[in-house]
Amino acid sequence: MNVISFLTGVCAVVSAIGVVSLRNPLYSAFALVINLLAMAGLYAALDAHFLAVSQVVVYAGAIMVLVLFVLMLLNLKSESGRRLGFVRSALALVIGCVVVMSALPPVVSHFSSMSQTTLSDNMRNSVGTVKAVGQELYTNYVAQFELASLVLLIGIVGAVMLAKRKSVVLAPRPGGLVGGSK
Amino acid sequence: MFELFVLLLKVGFVLNIALVLGSLCTWLERKGSALIQDRVGANRAGAFVESDRWYLKPVLPLVRMMGWLGVINTLLCDSLKGLWKEDFVPEGTSKFLHAVAPIIAVMPIMLAFAVLPLAPDFTVFGYYIHPRVAPIDAGLLFVLAMGSVAVYGVAIAGWTGNNKFSLLGSLRAAAQMISYELPMGMVFVALIVVYGTLDVYSIVEQQGELIWGFVPKWGVFVQPVGFVVLLLAGMAETKRGPFDLPEAESELAAGYFTEYSGMKFLLFWLGEFCEIALFALLLALLFFGGWQIPWVRLPEGVWWAALIGHVVLMTKVVFFCLLQIVIRWTLPRFRYDQLMNLGWKMLLPISLLNLVITAIVKVLA
Repeated sequence: MNVISFLTGVCAVVSAIGVVSLRNPLYSAFALVINLLAMAGLYAALDAHFLAVSQVVVYAGAIMVLVLFVLMLLNLKSESGRRLGFVRSALALVIGCVVVMSALPPVVSHFSSMSQTTLSDNMRNSVGTVKAVGQELYTNYVAQFELASLVLLIGIVGAVMLAKRKSVVLAPRPGGLVGGSK
Repeated sequence: MFELFVLLLKVGFVLNIALVLGSLCTWLERKGSALIQDRVGANRAGAFVESDRWYLKPVLPLVRMMGWLGVINTLLCDSLKGLWKEDFVPEGTSKFLHAVAPIIAVMPIMLAFAVLPLAPDFTVFGYYIHPRVAPIDAGLLFVLAMGSVAVYGVAIAGWTGNNKFSLLGSLRAAAQMISYELPMGMVFVALIVVYGTLDVYSIVEQQGELIWGFVPKWGVFVQPVGFVVLLLAGMAETKRGPFDLPEAESELAAGYFTEYSGMKFLLFWLGEFCEIALFALLLALLFFGGWQIPWVRLPEGVWWAALIGHVVLMTKVVFFCLLQIVIRWTLPRFRYDQLMNLGWKMLLPISLLNLVITAIVKVLA
C-alpha cells in the first residue's frame, strides 16, 4: 500500500463522515464530491486509470453537478436542533459496529491473501487500460453490458415521459425566456 | 532521482506554456477587441519611460515598444492592481468556499494540460523524453473529465456570492457546461472510432499519414462535421463568445464572479484564458495534425525535429486562440432558449448521427 492510496483512502473516509455529519445540505454535497474524487484517486492508485477517469466523468462531473444544481435552486437552510436522543444514538452505534464487524473478516482475509500474490509489472500496466476493460466488457460480459444499456435507455425514456407535462406550454415564446405554465 | 528531475522540468514547462498562452490570449483580447471596435486600446503604461541609468538605456526602446503595444498595461499593471486591491468577501456566506472557488475553477484546466503532448518524443543526451507530464492511455477522456470538474468552481463561486445575480450566473453556467459536454463527448467518441485510440499522442502520429496519397489524414478532413460541432461546443464550454450567458454583463452584472475582487477575480480570468488556450490546443492536436506539417515528414526522435514540431503546434494554437477571440468580439450573444436549443436539438443529434455514420464507414471500409 503506497502513500497515494493511503492519503486518498483517508480523504475518502473523512469526507464520507462529512457527508452524513455536516448540517448544511450543500456542504454535505461538496463532501460527497470530495469523496467521489478520492475514490477516483484510489482507483488510479490501483492502476485502474480508465475506471478512475470514468468515475470522475460520470459521478463527480455529471451526477453531483445535478445534485448541487437542485440544492442551490431549493435554497435549503442548514438543519438545526434536530438531534437524535441518547437511546437512538446508542442504537445506531451498536448497529453500525455490528455491520462493520461482520464486514471486516472477509476484507482482512482478502488483503492478507493479496499481499502474497503481487501483480507483475507487465500485468499492472495492462489490466486497467481502456483496451483491457473494453475487451472484458465486449467478450465475457457482453450480455450484462447490453442489459445495462437497455435499463439506461428505459430510464431515459421514463425521465422524458415524467418531464413531459401535458397542460403546460413548453415551447419558447418569441422574445421571452423559456415559457412556463400559463 | 534523475526521473524526478525530468518530471519536475516537464511540469514546469507545461505550466509555463499554459500560463504564457493564457497571458498571450489576455493581450490578444485587449488589443484585438480594440482593433475590432476601431479603438486604440491600451497604449500608455510604460510608453514614455525615461531613465538616466546607463544600464537601463539599451532596454528602454524595448520597454517603450511594449508599453505602446499595451503589453505592460495588460500583463504587468493589471496583475499588480489585482494584487493590491481590497479583497472583498460578502457577508453571510462561507469564507472558505469563497476563497477556494477560484482555485477550483483554475486547477482542472491546468491539470488537463498534463495529458496533452506538446511536441513529438525525442532523444537528447541518450535520454528518451516524452514531452508531456502524464502519458495515461485514457488521455482524451481525462480532458473531458477535467472539463466537467471545472463546473464546480463556477457553481461554488456563484453560490458563495450570496447574491441573485451570482446564483443565476452559476446556474446558467452549470446548465450550459453540462449541455455542451454531451456533443463534445460524442465528437470525441467519433474521433476514437476513426483513430482507434484514446491516446492523444497516437492520434497526432496517425494524422501524419495521407489518404489516397495526397490528402493529409487530419481530423478536419476525416471528421468535418465533428470539427464544427466541437468548435461550437468548445466555445460554449469556455463560456465565451456568443455563449457568455453566465456572465452576461447587460443582464447579470458580472454573473457568477460579481462578488469577487482583486486577485481572486483575476484568477477566474486567468482560468478562462487558459481554457481558451487549452481548447485551441485540443483543436490543433485532434483536428489539425498537431505538430505535423502536411506532405513533410520530419525525422523521428531528433531534438531539432521536436523543436520544429513544437513551433508548428504553437503556431496552430495561437491561430485558434485568435479565431476564438475574433468570434467572441464579432457575434452578438445568444438568447438563453436559443442556447439550449442549439445544444440539445441541433448539436447533440448532429453529433450522434455523425458517430453512427462514422461507425458504419469504419465497419464497411
